[in-house]
Amino acid sequence: MLLRAKNIFKTYTLGRSEVRVLRGASMKADKGEFLVVLGASGSGKSTLLHLLGALDVPDQGVVEFDGQNVTTMPTRRRDTYRNAQVGFIFQFYHLLPEFNVLENVLMARMISQSGLSWLKVRRTAIREAAEILERVGLSERAKHRPRELSGGERQRVAIARALINNPAILLADEPTGNLDAKIGEEILRLLTAFNEAGQTIVMVTHDLHVASRAHRRLELKGGVLHPYRESDGTAFASLHPTEEVAR
Amino acid sequence: MYKWFFAWRYLHTKLIALFGVASVTLCVAMVLVVLSVMGGFLDTVRERSRGLHSEIVLSGRSMQGFPFYEEFEGYLAEHLPHVVRATTPEIYSYGIFRVKDTPFTKMCQVMGIRLQDYVKVNDFGNGLNYDHYYPGTTHLGLQQMPVAAFSDVDTFLLPKDYMEANARWRNRETDPQKIDAFDRRPFQPAMYPFQTVPVPGERVFVLDSSTPRYEGTERYGVIVGSDLLFQRNAAGKFERDLARGAEVVVAVLPISATGNPMGEPPVKIPLRYADDSRTGIYEIDNVSVYVDFDMLQKRLAMDPQPLVDGSMTPQRANQLMIGLQPGVDLYEAKEVIAAAWDTFCDSLRLTKLDESLIAEADVLTWEDLQRPFINAVEKEKVLVTFLFSLISVVAIVLLGCIFYMIVEKKTRDIGTLKALGASARGVASIFISYAFVIGIVGSILGTIVGCLFVWNINTIQDWLAALHPQLRVWSPDVYSFDKIPEVVKSVDALCVGSIAVVSSIVGSLIPSYLASRVWPVQALRYE
Repeated sequence: MLLRAKNIFKTYTLGRSEVRVLRGASMKADKGEFLVVLGASGSGKSTLLHLLGALDVPDQGVVEFDGQNVTTMPTRRRDTYRNAQVGFIFQFYHLLPEFNVLENVLMARMISQSGLSWLKVRRTAIREAAEILERVGLSERAKHRPRELSGGERQRVAIARALINNPAILLADEPTGNLDAKIGEEILRLLTAFNEAGQTIVMVTHDLHVASRAHRRLELKGGVLHPYRESDGTAFASLHPTEEVAR
Repeated sequence: MYKWFFAWRYLHTKLIALFGVASVTLCVAMVLVVLSVMGGFLDTVRERSRGLHSEIVLSGRSMQGFPFYEEFEGYLAEHLPHVVRATTPEIYSYGIFRVKDTPFTKMCQVMGIRLQDYVKVNDFGNGLNYDHYYPGTTHLGLQQMPVAAFSDVDTFLLPKDYMEANARWRNRETDPQKIDAFDRRPFQPAMYPFQTVPVPGERVFVLDSSTPRYEGTERYGVIVGSDLLFQRNAAGKFERDLARGAEVVVAVLPISATGNPMGEPPVKIPLRYADDSRTGIYEIDNVSVYVDFDMLQKRLAMDPQPLVDGSMTPQRANQLMIGLQPGVDLYEAKEVIAAAWDTFCDSLRLTKLDESLIAEADVLTWEDLQRPFINAVEKEKVLVTFLFSLISVVAIVLLGCIFYMIVEKKTRDIGTLKALGASARGVASIFISYAFVIGIVGSILGTIVGCLFVWNINTIQDWLAALHPQLRVWSPDVYSFDKIPEVVKSVDALCVGSIAVVSSIVGSLIPSYLASRVWPVQALRYE
């Protein structure tokens, strides 16, 4: 077991009201697994992903990576965990607009190195980044700025960036949510290919079609994770968490 | 490494960074210009103050002066020849200066000096106008007025010793342009007998017949501070409208050893204008006249005076200038000479009055004497620099605002960086590095702009004055110096640049801290 979340609780304060997003969510992901968490918009999928990637800490519960409690790690170790073990892919790509494609991909590697050690590994890092860009089909676009790329290309850059440090786990937050069906399919094929090569992927989506690629599917409902059953429905309507709590 | 990468990339991709660089550049240039001009002003004052005095001065605090100065000169020559190179006494008093047959009168400080010795202990000789072109012709003894004449070849002739002196200057002068300039206009002739004011010039001699000669009653010479007697034109040159050798009068009030004024009417001393001097300090050149020491000593009754018991009072002087041997440390020499003065005084049999006058005499360095004046300029420099630095604080605030705007704009990128594993410290470092780069670039540009401005400050001022005379900010007829100081000290540039870099970083601290505190989850949702 590579990644595990045990009995996670998370509440946000929105104005004066408290929103209990996760209420005892538990899950695990094995090495090499392609796990999808399904849920309606606002159900807490992204929050779960952020907690798994140590971008946030739960109010209660534990996130374990490779047997280590990520939740109680000191801040610096959590930063290192995010840098070395996790690759994030976001719905809106979140590329850095001032940097070209190659530089965006290299950024996570640069963050992991201090000044002098970066100079030592720079050549190797650039070679590896170029290789990853070739794998995602963007070697011709290495010197282009994000604004010069299409949505699909931007997401492929984001995938390449997520993979540059050979992370143990890819956390993808609606990676096809901002793309049309054809481009979304390409991205899914790409992720599937990486998964087949051994990459562990945890993806959150509300799209059942996207979820169909996964080895295993979980559904986040009422702040709790359940195994997804086909008979439950075909689509997830947008549902604001406040409404859910109020219900 | 990524911090510097970010800083550099933000610097040339963000227009807003240019405003940051521009504000640092302007502040650095502004403070550097102020510091250089005021520093140059101070250095000039210091340098010229140094030239006013000998290294060490035995100075009486009271106007009636102190006795036994001559004996002490002998004592120094005998006991401290390895320390003391030359000595000369000086008297100062106050009086009224008047140009004969004109309504021109002015309050003045009358200095009694032995010119030949005086120029050995300070730079006074370098500031003499006529003595520069006719070396050796300026003296304070009895003299007549030199009268120039036309030669057969339509040039002017002066008395023989002037012509010989000028030949000596020509032989000594290495710059042919200066000789050419002199030949084009050897002097401005004033018609004799001169009933009208002569046309002003750099040097003015009375011109009469075909025979150069000396004329008039013999009078003691007087060297007058240039600013006391003459105005300066827009180019900073003195407009001399008094012929050399013209008669002037100085009225002084003798003071007895006890400090009481002596005699009913003030003593009027008829003199001949022998030269004018320029120390370069307006406050001195505007009030000083220099006359023969021994003559003034007599006129002020500071020479030996008979007492009721038939004995004589010792002669008095106000100061004893002491020039040091080369390489002698100023402060060590001060100690040694002060000790020598004490020993010398102990060896004397003094009356109560003499003892009280001697007690008033102090051994001082030239810096001690000029300290009030130098301190005033130093304080002025500090004050002006402080005020301009205060204005520069605006730049720090501006940088703070710029960085705050950048942090606001980059919130989502900060979230992305944190998702990629950047620490809070790393994120803060990006903005601090960015401020550092802005500070460095701004400082370099500011130093270049400041240097170019200072180096060309007089040209810029001339250009402004050509546009409109009111735009001339530095008027040579008001300030002591012909030109605005135009030297930038590298240490000043380095200090101002370093402070600007540190200030830039300080300006970015709060926004950097805020950036480091950005909650990544919020930041990633930030639109």
